[in-house]
Amino acid sequence: MRLLLPWALLGSAVFSLADPSANAAQDSQKTVDSAAAPPQHFRNINLVRNINLEKSYARETINVVVENIDSKPQSEYYFPFERGQIKRIGGLEAKDKKQPERTGFTAEIAALDQTSATEYYKITFPAALKPNEQITLSITYVSLQSLDPLPAKIEQSDKQYVRHGFSAYAPSAYTTLKQKTKLKLPTTDVPDAVKLAASLNAEGKEDPQRQGTTFTYGPYGELPAGAVEEVSVRYEFTKPLTHSTRLERDIEVSHWGGNIAFEERHWLTNRAAELKNQFSRVIHQQLQYYNPPTSALKELKFPLAVGSMDPYFTDDIGNVSTSRFRSNAREANLELKPRYPLFGKWNYSFRVGWNADLAKYLRGAGGDKFVLKVPFFEGPKQAEGVAYEKVITRVILPEGSTNVEYTTSLPLVDESVTKHYTFMDTAGRTMLELTALNVVDDQRDIQLVISYDYPFAARFRKPISIFAAVAAVFAITAVVRSLDVSIGRKTKSS
Amino acid sequence: MASATKPQSTASGVFFEGETARNTRGLLRIIILCTIAATAVASRLFSVIRFESIIHEFDPWFNFRATKYLVQNGFYDFWDWFDDRTWHPLGRVTGGTLYPGLMVTSGAIWHALRAISLPVDIRNICVLLAPGFSGLTAFASYLLTSELSDSPSAGLLAAIFMGIAPGYISRSVAGSYDNEAIAIFLLVFTFYLWIKAVKEGSVMWGAFAALFYGYMVSAWGGYVFITNLLPLHAFVLICMGRFSPRLYVSYTTWYALGTLASMQIPFVGFLPIRSSEHMSALGVFGLLQLVGFTDYIRQQLPSKQFQLLLRTLVLVIFVVAFGLLVLLTVSGTIAPWTGRFYSLWDTGYAKIHIPIIASVSEHQPTAWPAFFFDLNMLIWLFPAGVYMCFRSLKDEQVFVVIYAVLASYFAGVMVRLMLTLTPVVCIAAAMALSQILDTFLVAGEPAEPIEAPSTKTNDAKDKTVPGIPEVLRSTKGPLVGIYSYMSKAMITGAVTCYLLLFVMHCTWVTSNAYSSPSVVLASRLPDGSQHIIDDYREAYYWLRQNTKPDAKVMSWWDYGYQIGGMADRPTLVDNNTWNNTHIATVGKAMSSREEVSYPIMRQHEVDYVLVVFGGLLGYSGDDINKFLWMIRIAEGIWPDEVKERDFFTSRGEYRVDDEAPPAMKNSLMYKMSYYNFDKLFPAGQAQDRVRGSRLPAQGPELSTVEEAFTSENWIVRIYKVKDLDNLGRSHQDAGAFEKGNKKKKAGKRKGARVLRVD
Repeated sequence: MRLLLPWALLGSAVFSLADPSANAAQDSQKTVDSAAAPPQHFRNINLVRNINLEKSYARETINVVVENIDSKPQSEYYFPFERGQIKRIGGLEAKDKKQPERTGFTAEIAALDQTSATEYYKITFPAALKPNEQITLSITYVSLQSLDPLPAKIEQSDKQYVRHGFSAYAPSAYTTLKQKTKLKLPTTDVPDAVKLAASLNAEGKEDPQRQGTTFTYGPYGELPAGAVEEVSVRYEFTKPLTHSTRLERDIEVSHWGGNIAFEERHWLTNRAAELKNQFSRVIHQQLQYYNPPTSALKELKFPLAVGSMDPYFTDDIGNVSTSRFRSNAREANLELKPRYPLFGKWNYSFRVGWNADLAKYLRGAGGDKFVLKVPFFEGPKQAEGVAYEKVITRVILPEGSTNVEYTTSLPLVDESVTKHYTFMDTAGRTMLELTALNVVDDQRDIQLVISYDYPFAARFRKPISIFAAVAAVFAITAVVRSLDVSIGRKTKSS
Repeated sequence: MASATKPQSTASGVFFEGETARNTRGLLRIIILCTIAATAVASRLFSVIRFESIIHEFDPWFNFRATKYLVQNGFYDFWDWFDDRTWHPLGRVTGGTLYPGLMVTSGAIWHALRAISLPVDIRNICVLLAPGFSGLTAFASYLLTSELSDSPSAGLLAAIFMGIAPGYISRSVAGSYDNEAIAIFLLVFTFYLWIKAVKEGSVMWGAFAALFYGYMVSAWGGYVFITNLLPLHAFVLICMGRFSPRLYVSYTTWYALGTLASMQIPFVGFLPIRSSEHMSALGVFGLLQLVGFTDYIRQQLPSKQFQLLLRTLVLVIFVVAFGLLVLLTVSGTIAPWTGRFYSLWDTGYAKIHIPIIASVSEHQPTAWPAFFFDLNMLIWLFPAGVYMCFRSLKDEQVFVVIYAVLASYFAGVMVRLMLTLTPVVCIAAAMALSQILDTFLVAGEPAEPIEAPSTKTNDAKDKTVPGIPEVLRSTKGPLVGIYSYMSKAMITGAVTCYLLLFVMHCTWVTSNAYSSPSVVLASRLPDGSQHIIDDYREAYYWLRQNTKPDAKVMSWWDYGYQIGGMADRPTLVDNNTWNNTHIATVGKAMSSREEVSYPIMRQHEVDYVLVVFGGLLGYSGDDINKFLWMIRIAEGIWPDEVKERDFFTSRGEYRVDDEAPPAMKNSLMYKMSYYNFDKLFPAGQAQDRVRGSRLPAQGPELSTVEEAFTSENWIVRIYKVKDLDNLGRSHQDAGAFEKGNKKKKAGKRKGARVLRVD
């Protein structure tokens, strides 16, 4: 083991060269140190896993009855993922199924054995579970990039099929007595679903069971920790697999202008099946009359907060004229069309921005204290879902604001408070930068609440400094003008 | 101006007398100049308001890209920049083959703004640089005209003319980020400093002139105009017997410092002492020394000996100098005149010898209406202004006359040189118009002391007294003045109308002719709303996002800079056109059959081919219309392989329909333009809206390239060059095989028919 470790590190170094972004994502995820392998303190009495595949990412919910089989009270429950998979898992959270209002559950990546093929999330209960007591956990998470188009290359007008591979046995670090896995698919067009031997099934039934768009694997009897049975389903999904590799969001607060400005910079890619032949405009134009479902991403819809105004939609080479903004008393919808339809493996990066009235987002909390409440990110809202690998939100507070504190329910991997210089700042504006990984568009309602102090005197910093600068220029000019720099004596004749 | 003179008689006269009056006028003048500068900037913002803050046309995209490189990598990297993303596989020594003035200016502004924490996007600086500098140009022409004319209003008139004359706006609207954007300001300002230097005989002004001349050299190739105009001015002054120490001091200062300054630019280097274009400046420099020397001798020697000495000296020196020049030119030490220069004298020269220069529309001779279009009423005020210069022919007026003559000639030869004519037209017109206004726009009646000599002169005129000593006849008549309010009102009213019409014309021309970014095309929908056709950027952005970062794109050279700037992909040729052979290679690839083109493209590692096709939309600036130039340029290098004649029908027509000659139909360009186009229409009804012709029922087929992307309105079509066939077949064979038996059977049947005939 000791000998192997340096090699493993070397391997990871090479890996980081080859794919820096993926590895960086993993490295920057918050980790906690723990023992080598999760101790067998628990036993899963009954486990039901729901995999929802209706969107372009998989959302899994595991409801499990957990029993403490140790002699001491325990509060750390480990949840396993395969190495490599864990960096695509987002929004993992645990709840007490019976008491959903109970808070205090935390979920973190546990840094365990570097060489092991399995990595764990550590879920900490708000209160330790006494021996022989049970708790019903509800663990939810989304798995990004878990759908892969198969065939990987299709014709422009073809239907797209995607494959989702998973283990028929739910991942568990503990012995599981009884379990089943339910799949919810968006369609009944399922050409392939791997069949398992009926002997594995606890009830001896055909496995999987099919009911409309629902597939059920199991139930299965007692299985040891880490049992795996690889299966996959392949189903029609003629929709874009919109994937955002990076989203940068700036929120700029101006007390003087009473304005809050949002800007989002998106780097999108469509993970859908590639075009077998190259793109043909003729076919595209012919198909446009029927408007069939397609794996191409043609439009992005941003439902903005009511009262949003002055939107813009640009990319690296300027304004994109194909956008529409519908704004009235009830809604403010920004509908964008990329410059070209995004077929499989095509990329598109762009920026959108808009303004809003600050009063709707900010309120004074007495004295110099202010509280700002904004969505952590907005992004497009698509029926088929959008997955974000990395979301960086920067909140730029007015110059001179101090004592910045924030709360949000989105798990973050990085935070920092720095200075941002713009528009003739002398001291710089306070900027809060927050980073989240593996986020999906379902979470776009999550709010970010920031409180900060903005002293009254700080508002006059800029006018005074500009006045001083202009006065200095005049003074210097006056001095320079009064200097006599001519060579030789002044003579009247030329 | 009217308001400045009118209130003289009112109660507020306090402000218009003595020291206060001077201050009031100064303040008014500053306010007027600021307003003019604001007008000049504002009138150039049509395109920003209508479209967006975007770089226009073609060349500005390169300047923009270079500026971004400068800002990102710093000045020294920029100076040493070898660009391997253009002219693949040759690359271009960009740092040493450009005029860096423009980029350095915007880079400096960018850094200055950042220093006061105003992080403005470099694109916005580039877009707004030209309007900003046109405000300065207006100010510079105010200064220059004020030096030339005694009239208080001439300078202001020149400033506003310069501010809104379409001839200058054509090259300085927002987004037209080209060398001319700052060069015209530098041109006018250098002239101002020169005039100032000549007037005062001051080393300081001469040095300033040299400084700005150096800046001008760093900014635009048109600096040669100054390099020749100033010596010509000096030379004419000497010939007129007006040699003076003032001239000597100012010219020598300017020449010595200016030449040194110009040699600091790598692209110019040793040209100022080696190329023929710069020889006149050197010659006049030498001449001035001789004249100065002679002047000195004259003071020392008796006049008879001096006459003899002078004659021999002039003869000997002329012969020696001329002989030396010829010798050096022949031996190659001094570079002979360049082709672009010859085309200035012979408008047909380029067409015969350098098709690549002739193919650029802005190098065509100017059409007559263009003068009126670009200068409106100034063009008829211009001769009057030049005539005014003759009336008081001082040193500086001589300059205007020379400038006027030279610039008029050059503007007639080449459309783009209208730009150098515009300043002198504005100045001369302002002088003429200010004369009219000064005479007629006077509220009071002419004062008595002026009246008395005027009657005297009238008498004198009748008698034509011969004994009056006069310098020039035109300066004889003293100012009379106008008494009748009727005629004052009429003339003033007429001039006001002309001025209003002028403003309207300028606005109209700017708005309609010069404010289109040409990257974006605008059209109107039936409901009157604006519809933007953005195919170029659609395709360029597709290239930028969905191809390898080093995918080489082959296109005609027009689009090279745009591809480099917007798609950020390496190109084979671009608007720099420094290597005619490379351009001809692309021309050959475009105009040959696929079997010939494919090896060329493979050799140049081409990944994508980009063509511009306007047939669907009726966009006439497309590649099929430019195709003849590709053929001509290719023919220049490979006369045996590409023949222009083959692309015409037997009756000499250029056609794309059924009757198109085989060379045309088989050319890669034709095939790429019309590939799959017929499928948009019902069978046999494909219509090309630019050429207005019906296309063959059977569309062209491609075997070595495949369609990769076509923009929404089909303006830009991108093709991917296929890799070599896996089985080692030619692409034609592979294509035939893919189609299956049909082809084989056809071949058999054909064989059988031949047998039967036998």
